[in-house]
Amino acid sequence: MRSNIIRAYKGVHTWTGILTGLALFIAFYAGALTMFEESLERWVAPPGRHAQTPLVQADALIAAALAARPEAAKQFTLHLAETAPLGRLTWQKGRDDAQPWSAELDAAGELQLVRLAPGGVAQFVDTLHRTAGIPGDHEIGETAMGIVSVVYVVALVSGLIVLLPSLIKDFFALRVGRNLKRMWLDAHNLLGITSFPFHLLIALTSVIFCLHDPIYALQDPLIYDGKFRQVTASSGVLAQAPKDPAAAPMLPVQALLDQVAELEPGFQPSAIEYRNAGTGGAVARVIGDDPRYLVRNVGFVVLGAVDGRILNTDYLPGHQGSWSAVVAAFFAVHFGTYGGETMRWVYFLLGLGGAFVFYSGNLLWLETRRRKAKAGELPAQARASRWLAAGTVGTCLGCIAGVSAMLVVGKWWPGVAPETVYYLVFLFCVAWAFIAGAPRAAVQLGWLTALATAALPATSLLAWLLPDSGLWWHAPAFGVDLVAAAGALMLAWAAVAAGRRARGGDADSVWAQPASSQPLPPSGRGPASACQE
Amino acid sequence: MSDYRKDYLSKTLAAVILGLGIAFAGSALIAWGTPGGPAAPNKFQFVMWVVSPLWTLVLALVYLFRNGRRAWLVLSLANLVLFGAYLLIRFLHS
Repeated sequence: MRSNIIRAYKGVHTWTGILTGLALFIAFYAGALTMFEESLERWVAPPGRHAQTPLVQADALIAAALAARPEAAKQFTLHLAETAPLGRLTWQKGRDDAQPWSAELDAAGELQLVRLAPGGVAQFVDTLHRTAGIPGDHEIGETAMGIVSVVYVVALVSGLIVLLPSLIKDFFALRVGRNLKRMWLDAHNLLGITSFPFHLLIALTSVIFCLHDPIYALQDPLIYDGKFRQVTASSGVLAQAPKDPAAAPMLPVQALLDQVAELEPGFQPSAIEYRNAGTGGAVARVIGDDPRYLVRNVGFVVLGAVDGRILNTDYLPGHQGSWSAVVAAFFAVHFGTYGGETMRWVYFLLGLGGAFVFYSGNLLWLETRRRKAKAGELPAQARASRWLAAGTVGTCLGCIAGVSAMLVVGKWWPGVAPETVYYLVFLFCVAWAFIAGAPRAAVQLGWLTALATAALPATSLLAWLLPDSGLWWHAPAFGVDLVAAAGALMLAWAAVAAGRRARGGDADSVWAQPASSQPLPPSGRGPASACQE
Repeated sequence: MSDYRKDYLSKTLAAVILGLGIAFAGSALIAWGTPGGPAAPNKFQFVMWVVSPLWTLVLALVYLFRNGRRAWLVLSLANLVLFGAYLLIRFLHS
């Protein structure tokens, strides 16, 4: 009976994995990049867009901005970091406004208003992470990814069950050699098992991030007798805010920060979000981080901006109720918002490793279904195999190439919308993979992806060599160039390996380039290798 | 015993439907059965969160059942017990 169960779970693992693998590859690749999304934004953005106004002039800036633009009083954000990327003070017209306004005081103390360029690359990488690039309303993409996440939990647990009996034997084995399938399987298992806890936490939290609305909707009649709105309102962070529309002077920024420091000296504020500024009901949400705690994506404390009274500490690390603290921990393990820079890199690598697990899973599916050559006769590989091979190559390489191209184009031509570049490159790669067939596309798209990624450090190098070119590079974003250079080298190595496999590998592989003497399989007929390097 | 059957469709449906019932009944029990009741400040978020591990746990482990019928039977019973307990708690609170 035991072996029957294992066999059943093998089937479950195979099909759940194949169904979700490609969407998860995109989500993980983009998710890994979100760990450094500020650096990416920084890499693309022209110099001088970060905050100019010294923090000591913040009060004068707020007064001047509100006098010039009274509509900003409803809600604006004061950024506290020395070099806040968006500027010192920003506000949006409504929630979906992709072009926030930014206010600064110039050297003469005059107010400067700028409308920021639309939709930054960081925002698109984040969207890509949450929706896997499913176009249309974000809610559609997120709901779809919620279902993908549910299936992904099943894939994870089933994978563990399949591996359990041979775990001790196979765990640290990485049999590199002639048996390619064995090697891919070992790599898939080794990475999968070592990062299993990470994957499980990511999967379980993703289900919630994507499906919280329908879950709340079902719980409303079941648990709250239809009074869910009242329950959330009484837990709301602004529930204690005074309702007073009469004009009233606000405390200086420093006084608010002192108040927070007195309450919790370990809290490190990074921004203050004001609401109803200049009225008796003005509130200041001081947003920040506390490295000693598992912080939600951010922590914050709400104060009255007029009297400095503490109004809500439900999201201030160390001052939360136990329910909030547990939920904050769920958030933290997804976003990697604990343990500082070290965990940021760990999450980056785990994210990339996760993408590799999904990619290798698809390769294993293909190897398992290989139609072997018998007595010198070469069978055609199944259409499903050829399509999955093309889809895997096109999606994975298209995603990487699309993001790289988006960053580079964003720097050379700042007006171009990032998502346009991404989708053009991604869809081209997927289409080309099916037109040219997996063996050729793996090599050609491999080189394309390596070149697109190498274009990042190349652009920075050019900017450094030719300062008059109008290009720019930022020392603080130099890490982006280093990582991109390393990534480009690895992609180039993979492209070389794919070429070797296509020409000299097993002829009965779905990756083997059909010899010219043989008739080409129907979907393997590409236009004469025009793109061949 | 080698009368194990895969019954993928039957087991999967049982876990999707009845697993959802278990997850929601479990979350309702936590909401009403822990101190403060469902209106305790910020508890509602935790109550929502537990649906994910409960539902996916059932989905992931359902293939351990000997056959689809057994899965439906056992998971239905679990639903009866959990929803029964929830009704009891609500009755005691009323």
